[in-house]
Amino acid sequence: MSQLHEVAEQLGEVFEGYFSALHELRVAVEAGLARGDGIDQLVLDFVGPRLMDPATTVVGAGFIGGPGSAAGESIHFAWWLGPLEDNPLLGTTTEVTRLDLAAREYADYLRDFTNMEWYSVPESTGDRHITGPYVDHLCTCDYMLTLTSPVGSPALGVVGLDILVRQIEPGVLHLLRSLQGPAALLSSTGRIIASTSEHWELGASLQDHEGVRVPGTSLVVAKIFN
Amino acid sequence: MTQHALPDRGPRSAVFAPLSGAARSMQVAQRLTDAILLGVIRPGERLPTEAELAKRFGVAIVTAREALSEIREAGLVETRRGREGGSFVLASEDTPEQVLMARLRSISRIELADVGTYEATLCAGAAERAAELASPEEATRLATWWEGADFSSAQSAARNQGGLLLEISVAAQSPRLVREQIRFQAEFGQLLWLGLGEGGVREQVSALNSEIVQAIGSGDAGRARAVVRAELKILTTWLLKTKERLEAAA
Repeated sequence: MSQLHEVAEQLGEVFEGYFSALHELRVAVEAGLARGDGIDQLVLDFVGPRLMDPATTVVGAGFIGGPGSAAGESIHFAWWLGPLEDNPLLGTTTEVTRLDLAAREYADYLRDFTNMEWYSVPESTGDRHITGPYVDHLCTCDYMLTLTSPVGSPALGVVGLDILVRQIEPGVLHLLRSLQGPAALLSSTGRIIASTSEHWELGASLQDHEGVRVPGTSLVVAKIFN
Repeated sequence: MTQHALPDRGPRSAVFAPLSGAARSMQVAQRLTDAILLGVIRPGERLPTEAELAKRFGVAIVTAREALSEIREAGLVETRRGREGGSFVLASEDTPEQVLMARLRSISRIELADVGTYEATLCAGAAERAAELASPEEATRLATWWEGADFSSAQSAARNQGGLLLEISVAAQSPRLVREQIRFQAEFGQLLWLGLGEGGVREQVSALNSEIVQAIGSGDAGRARAVVRAELKILTTWLLKTKERLEAAA
């Protein structure tokens, strides 16, 4: 196995960890929906302690129900944010905070959340998905990856979690440094998530590379030819 | 050797000057005034309670109370007591011109021009980066959203103008630009979009927005930058021209 494949395997394990937590949440939500339980409390009970774990790199998580999942709502957010530092919307928080879209008036222009990539892709493909890296302006106003997975089949909604790119950067760089020469972790569209090259930074996309798919994800680990 | 403390004077003392409560309540009052002027909050509508306003604006309840009392004195809302009580937006006896006049009188030409310059600089830079960095998928999503964006009334145009400029900051991939855009719009958005109340301005800006979206899609950073500056120039010029017209007539 080449070095590139080895690093891809290791990165795959990292993301598998996030996705397996997401799978647990999915199973809990599906069971709760089937029993007709109050879904908000169920989601909070699951994500609350995990978001408060000092070792976590997950900054937000929850369930987003599509049309029909909650009476009188076109979309239902049961989404919580972990403790935040100097958030432009919420300031500094020490507990979990529920996402309150009504308090984000600037986001009124978003007509349809079911069009958002983190919702529409898992809903239509029935498969888990990684959105980003992108700047999220609803929750943390930071650069992040959003992992989502469909709930029910056909999908009634999605469960998801948000990871700050800067928080996973040290771990990813550590793995990339075991490769000879500059390398990067890329999104499916080639956007840099982390790179060991000073020429490839925030927001840039890399087209010319020799890459290997990170197992279980749409991400690619690649060597960079400057 | 003795260390001399710097005298607490000049720019240095300004850095540590406490934010005055009065200034904060005035800021809250102005945002509410702008929202009422633009029709985002309509006559007859009940404003959020003092506690809700305090939470939304991140100020003390007493500050929210002062802000409400300011806009009550300005005749924009009335407060009713009782179970169905609260602060309700009045169908103003003043003409919209008079209310607009009061708002434009409260801000100097220099401040107005600077608000325009700041937003134009922020957005032109973001548009340039967005054109360089947006993936084809992102550009298509932006274009699809813009095609369906309602620009037919002052209120919907204002909402979507703010939305478009925020989306452009998102496409620039910069958390700082996004945070700054949100902060700027909360403070000055309603004011800067006032020109969209005029049909002609709305049409011009709408056409320029289509050009910006196209320029971002085709990766034309120079054009995206130039058109963003041009449209913010139109909105700023409208404010300056209107201020002059109203004040000269008074």
